[in-house]
Amino acid sequence: MSVKKDPLFNEDSINRIETDRSTWFDTALSETDRAAEGSFFTHSGIPVKLLFTPADIKHMNHARDLGFPGQPPFVRGVYPNMYRGRLFTVRQLAGLGAPEDCNLRIKYLLDHGATGVNILFDLPTIRGYNSDDPEAEGNVGACGAAVDSIWDIDAYFKDIDLGKVSTSIVTHLPSTSIVIPGMYFAVAEQRGTPWNRVAGTCQNDFIMETCVGSAPEILPPAASFRLQCDVVEWICKNVPRWNPISYNGYNLREAGTDAVQEVAIAISNAIATAEELIRRGMHIDDFAPRMSFFWDLHNDFFEEIAKCRASRKVWHQIMKERFGAKNKKSLLMRFHVQTAGVTLPATEPYNNIARSALQGLAAVLGGCQSLHIDSYDEAYSAPTEEAALISLRTQQIIQTETGIVNTVDPLAGSYYVEYLTDQMAQRILAAIQKIEDMGGLVKAVESGWLHREISAYNYKHQRSIETGETKVVGVNYQPAEKDTCCSINVFKYPETYTRQKTKLERLRGERDSKKVKERLAVIRDKCHSDENLYPYTIAAVKHLATLGEIEDVFREEFGLWAFPLY
Amino acid sequence: MARKVRVVMAKLGLDIHWRGVYLVSQFLKDAGMEVVYLGNQFPEQIVEAALEEDADIVGLSSLSGNHMTLGPKVVRLLKEKGLDNVKVYMGGVMAPDDADTLEKEHGIQKVFLPDTPMEKIVNHMYASVGIPRPQRQA
Repeated sequence: MSVKKDPLFNEDSINRIETDRSTWFDTALSETDRAAEGSFFTHSGIPVKLLFTPADIKHMNHARDLGFPGQPPFVRGVYPNMYRGRLFTVRQLAGLGAPEDCNLRIKYLLDHGATGVNILFDLPTIRGYNSDDPEAEGNVGACGAAVDSIWDIDAYFKDIDLGKVSTSIVTHLPSTSIVIPGMYFAVAEQRGTPWNRVAGTCQNDFIMETCVGSAPEILPPAASFRLQCDVVEWICKNVPRWNPISYNGYNLREAGTDAVQEVAIAISNAIATAEELIRRGMHIDDFAPRMSFFWDLHNDFFEEIAKCRASRKVWHQIMKERFGAKNKKSLLMRFHVQTAGVTLPATEPYNNIARSALQGLAAVLGGCQSLHIDSYDEAYSAPTEEAALISLRTQQIIQTETGIVNTVDPLAGSYYVEYLTDQMAQRILAAIQKIEDMGGLVKAVESGWLHREISAYNYKHQRSIETGETKVVGVNYQPAEKDTCCSINVFKYPETYTRQKTKLERLRGERDSKKVKERLAVIRDKCHSDENLYPYTIAAVKHLATLGEIEDVFREEFGLWAFPLY
Repeated sequence: MARKVRVVMAKLGLDIHWRGVYLVSQFLKDAGMEVVYLGNQFPEQIVEAALEEDADIVGLSSLSGNHMTLGPKVVRLLKEKGLDNVKVYMGGVMAPDDADTLEKEHGIQKVFLPDTPMEKIVNHMYASVGIPRPQRQA
């Protein structure tokens, strides 16, 4: 496809439109309207005019800036037929209590039409502690499931065919992504499911380990980044249908950034990963097709849609121009979306069903590959079964009742959406350049820059809520007259600690502790080599080493890093 | 001039959500309090810091379900050290019934649930320690 000078609008038309617009602006609008022009912005600060016309996108070139779906620059979507071919995956989170409890919730969601599974963990598991470690007190089985050993992954997926279900394993940190998905692969192997039939995603993002989450013990950025790259490298070579990394813009955004920074940081991390894996001898097309992204869809409806479109465009440009990727799959950005938990207040919680539906709608208009819609009780607890079902139903309503999935990228050509898409792309590229100028993302994180950015964003945002400049319905705008918080059912986490403790005691009794020690010693040794650690962690979990034991080795060998903010 | 209110703020245990507690710490500072933010800590270390810092208030943040276990533990350990006068506040994501129980049965001064304006937190804390809020904010 040639990219010659091929503007969508001819110059005469544009000139006429610009003249007519000026006249219209001066004569049709009131003094108040005219005075207000220049004072509206999107959430991330892009100027919003009262009216957009073809003049605002006069430089747009169809082949260069839009193209066709499934073709460069992928602005219109990653597949030619998009949702006609395959609807976005309805992927609702399921994680609570013990693995045995989660197994029931997964089956419940699959029985009600979910097509993928998202599994998430309690904080001790996320941070790499066993359920009976003293640090885990009070957190076992809360907000997610406890996983201590390969036995727990087996229980999580009891009676579920690992060759049929697509599973997203929400291991936030590289240090646990090198262990827990390994347990999953080992279980598949034990059940006779070959690794080339196992499909899914793990999160594996060093930004999660070092910036988004705080915790008493964090691995240093460089060590966390090394583990992140080990995971990508090993999985690409051994589990071909698995996405070894999901660059997590979502949690970063929830922690506190705008839409531009969300995408820029995630892509910067992908750039850093690509450079490291190329240094290790891989070719860009060996791994880029399996990189995936995770976006947070917030309230600013059109900006969020533009973000989705622009992020595909930027990714294509970087993969093609900077890395010379040839495989088409390297050039297209696939992403999962979750609606914005941080936008869901506790006040009048049922309003959150409307908020989440609108955010979910934006995700689908933005061309997401899979979607999780948050539940209305987000500000209280993990969702109740009733709340989770409403989220699932919301997805199904978008898919089957609105008709928006019948045509590809239906907002293309909107002067506003195209203007915003162009603006977002430019701003994302500029933000990526800024990180490059700091020496890349790992260095930028080490310097504390990102922590300061997050903190400054949050402070400014909270101020604007306190002053009423940012309005939250029912909270600071048309506030609820009486306290409406207490009328909903709140999910009660099942007791988990005792069950996990009993299981761990049995495990320690049954396993060959000499073999476990040997395997852990090998990992300890290999931490200081250039070798990929994955084969050694997978060997350890097969011998029933626990998550906490392996993580202790990492903490001891890599040392700990102090959060550079306080 | 009244002395400054001294606050020790912490994220409880392994919880990772630092946005809220760090924000509250900043706003308390803006309102003229002396704030030590510990980052993540476990009850024993929090109580130690309260002792060292001669704190009037301990603020605990929990968004990950450890509020019913670790919150009361902090109150208990403070009592054991003879720091009965230190007011313990909590904030975060939890069931309103749990917040009630923490206030009524476990000696938590006040639990602030999501959507609470910062002004409300600041004023509540000044009132509870009986020190007037400075006119000009730091």
